[in-house]
Amino acid sequence: MLERTLQRFGQLGARLGTQMGLQPAAGSRRTGSAAMRKPLAEYDAGLLWSALLLLTMGLVMVYSSSIAMAEVSRFTGGRSNYFLVRHLAFTACSLVAAMMVFQVPMRVWQQAAPWLFIGGVLALLLVLMPGLGREVNGARRWLSLGIMNLQPSEFMKLAAVLYAADYTVRKAALMHSFKRGLLPMLGVMLVVGWLLLREPDFGAFVVITSIAMGILFLGGMNGKWFAGLMLMLALGFAALVLTSPYRMQRIFGFMDPWSDPYGKGYQLSHALIAFGRGEYFGVGLGASVEKLLYLPEAHTDFLLAVIAEELGLAGVTLVIMLFSCLVMRAFAIGRQAVNLERPFSALVAQGIGVWLGVQALINMGVNMGVLPTKGLTLPLMSFGGSGILANCIAVAILLRIDWEGRQMARGQVV
Amino acid sequence: MNFAASPVLTLRLPVWRSRLLLLGFFAGFAVLSVRAVFLQGWNNNFLQAKGESRYSRVIEITANRGRIVDRHGEALAISTPVKSIWAIPGDFELDQAQLVKLAALLEMQPQDIQKRIADSSHDFVFIKRQIPPEVADRIAELRIPGLFQSREFRRYYPGGDVMAHVLGFTGAEDVGQEGVELAFQQRLAGKPGSRRVIKDRKGQIIEDMESIKAAQEGHDLVLALDSRIQNLAFGALKSAVEAHRAKAGGIVVLDVVTGEMLALANYPTYNPNNRSQLSGSSLRNRAVTDTFEPGSTLKPFTVATAIETGKVRPDTLIQTAPGSFTIGKATIHDAHAEGLITVAQVIQKSSNVGAAKIALGMPAQSMWETFRSVGFGVPPKLGFPGEVSGRVRPAKTWRPIEQATMSYGHGISVSLVQLARAYTIFARDGDLVPISLVRVDTPPSAQSVISAETARALRAMLESAVHPGGTAPRAQIMGYRVAGKTGTAHKQENGGYAANKYVSSFVGFAPVSNPRLVIAVMIDEASDGQYYGGAVAAPVFAKVMEGALRTLGAPPDAPMKPIVLPAAGEELKDSV
Repeated sequence: MLERTLQRFGQLGARLGTQMGLQPAAGSRRTGSAAMRKPLAEYDAGLLWSALLLLTMGLVMVYSSSIAMAEVSRFTGGRSNYFLVRHLAFTACSLVAAMMVFQVPMRVWQQAAPWLFIGGVLALLLVLMPGLGREVNGARRWLSLGIMNLQPSEFMKLAAVLYAADYTVRKAALMHSFKRGLLPMLGVMLVVGWLLLREPDFGAFVVITSIAMGILFLGGMNGKWFAGLMLMLALGFAALVLTSPYRMQRIFGFMDPWSDPYGKGYQLSHALIAFGRGEYFGVGLGASVEKLLYLPEAHTDFLLAVIAEELGLAGVTLVIMLFSCLVMRAFAIGRQAVNLERPFSALVAQGIGVWLGVQALINMGVNMGVLPTKGLTLPLMSFGGSGILANCIAVAILLRIDWEGRQMARGQVV
Repeated sequence: MNFAASPVLTLRLPVWRSRLLLLGFFAGFAVLSVRAVFLQGWNNNFLQAKGESRYSRVIEITANRGRIVDRHGEALAISTPVKSIWAIPGDFELDQAQLVKLAALLEMQPQDIQKRIADSSHDFVFIKRQIPPEVADRIAELRIPGLFQSREFRRYYPGGDVMAHVLGFTGAEDVGQEGVELAFQQRLAGKPGSRRVIKDRKGQIIEDMESIKAAQEGHDLVLALDSRIQNLAFGALKSAVEAHRAKAGGIVVLDVVTGEMLALANYPTYNPNNRSQLSGSSLRNRAVTDTFEPGSTLKPFTVATAIETGKVRPDTLIQTAPGSFTIGKATIHDAHAEGLITVAQVIQKSSNVGAAKIALGMPAQSMWETFRSVGFGVPPKLGFPGEVSGRVRPAKTWRPIEQATMSYGHGISVSLVQLARAYTIFARDGDLVPISLVRVDTPPSAQSVISAETARALRAMLESAVHPGGTAPRAQIMGYRVAGKTGTAHKQENGGYAANKYVSSFVGFAPVSNPRLVIAVMIDEASDGQYYGGAVAAPVFAKVMEGALRTLGAPPDAPMKPIVLPAAGEELKDSV
């Protein structure tokens, strides 16, 4: 098993080297017959490079955006590299975890999906237990694990993708039955949604709902029901927003940040100022003023604003393009799995695409003031161990699905 | 063969839904791109303006306050850089060892520091202001979070209490509060400049954007003051006030030619470098802000007026016997019955009866005009804060007894500065110059008050007053001819005159052959039994005049022989 793993990664490394222009010297081509024949790609380059670029850029920007805050914060002990060191460690661990996850066959994921989902629900319950969940800024979203805090909702997103895909595949024959096809899923999602709103983690709720809806939609659910469900959801959202002053305030703060720029609109107005200051090519890496304690959550939820200020429209466009590429590749891998008649993999791939795409869209939309503030991080970029780990695992699963597809295309059994 | 790959159970996934969803994502990303272009390429001016209003600040660049120097360029007031130590209580954090060190450096009690931090609900607290830069550096080395420093200036007065009343002092904000510091605030302060900077949320400057206005440094101020003479005057005054256990005293030294104020001192005084005691009556610049009834020092003006108006000549005889003179219900007394004496002797012997008779021989209006033209009843316009004009009632309201008492300086009030200035007409051949706190390079134009002949006549009378046989032999100086007049007046209290509280004064000038300086001395409530101007104030005059003339290198105009003082008990006393 271990040997096979190393072998696969050796191939991966060789391909990476070629991608980066490290073509073997002309002389060395003759040394073996394998080198003479151009091998079929073992992985999806567009996906891998998008993810790696986003991770790297995130690392740099997390450092840049957190220096000033880390220097004066009592919590960090005044160490300016506090967040860099942690983010670097999270990223390294996540990459190792991703390599391990890449070894896990999709059928294992499918078998484990319900259990992972149950585990996720239990973790969400634990967060709400008094004494276990850690509260930050009025939200109980974390479980304290000694050296780091775990955010179960991040992993719940992954579990939701796997569970919804597995559910859809298992109930394929019942997809047109309201009672037996749709209702159980709806009930489960209501429980998860309720738990998330108790934290409260409105952002995760929206993402998980999107994942579930997206997978049901892709899984061929009756169009009329889907439309009806969407309408119900819309009404539900409206009810949620109107009944909670906290959410209401967030909604209205986004509508016009300049009406109360020092109160409700404070964070957003500073984010918009950061965009304006960045212009086309930015004020230069490290030169942001907004990150100097003006813009709250600069290294997490509002990382894009700092990117916009320091790297300008160029930087923002690059991020948007990388996420577009990521989502596009996820859907392409999904459709390839459809062609190979692997519905679970197809739904998981597209579900991950929906997850990362929706979360990126919402986070960036919030940063630019087109969506209300949610408390969602930018996938693969924002500071946060659980988020980075869950995102890296998701990308690894995508690569696995692609890899399995390539193996099948060669006639191998996976 | 696994479950998912089984063709039998394969779910048909509609590809168009996948494409539609992907298209939706692309549409979303496209919307974001357009929004980014709008924010960053289109609306950026608006957003940047909003940003600047948040974190760009116009800060003031403090202009250095100008120095105050004496006429020879010696520094009397200088600004030295200091630091203020302040804290943001919410961020302030230190352990016990740091607290003890900080308290030791600040010379405060550790509890006091903690109290300052704890008591305040503000997000900004001064711990201590005006700390020497070396101490501030050592505090910075402690690296205490939440503790900050800012640059300030502290005004330092090398002369301490000697110059205090002339210079005044500045407040914590470097604004003049008293004396020259207040009078010349505009000129000394300069104009602060300003520049626009970007500050981070903690208020630290992170970027210099533009200079709006350059700071204009304050101008140095050159005073007329001569610090050597000032030291001399202050020392002599202080020892006299202490020796006679007097309540207070003042001395003014004027340059006869230019009208410059070479020295001005009061006692008691204060140390302007010690801010904890900057209050109370010792702050009063008595020579300028307080008036007193001058007594006999006013007689020369009465006599000068009478000579000017042709009513008397210096050798006109006046009957002062029997040493008292009754006008209506009031009776005027002399200290000694002198009998038939000349007008000159009225001055020399300081006869109240003689002065009253001379005064009653002329219209009140003439006396009033003289008083006004030598500057009584009008502020001396030195520029000092709180200058008083004194009281000279209109001549029309004078009753004969008032005209009589006014002739010897009662019923009229003047400040010491006014008195000193008025005497320049005798020292200067009858004309009066404006007096000045700042150095004067070209002598100002003078205004004639009395004729040169009258002035010379008065000079001779005033010189005889300091000779044995006059009231102030103790005003004599070896090597210089001196002229002057004593004054001893009951103090006014509760609308009447206090029986045993006196103001003793002496005003004089020297050298008589070519007068250089006018010195006026006033001692308030001498309480060691002596209170006559000739005994209390004249010695101070002599000491200061002698030292000042030697300092100025004035050529002696009298033989260097020991001063002759009358035998004890034979000294003539002022008529009070």
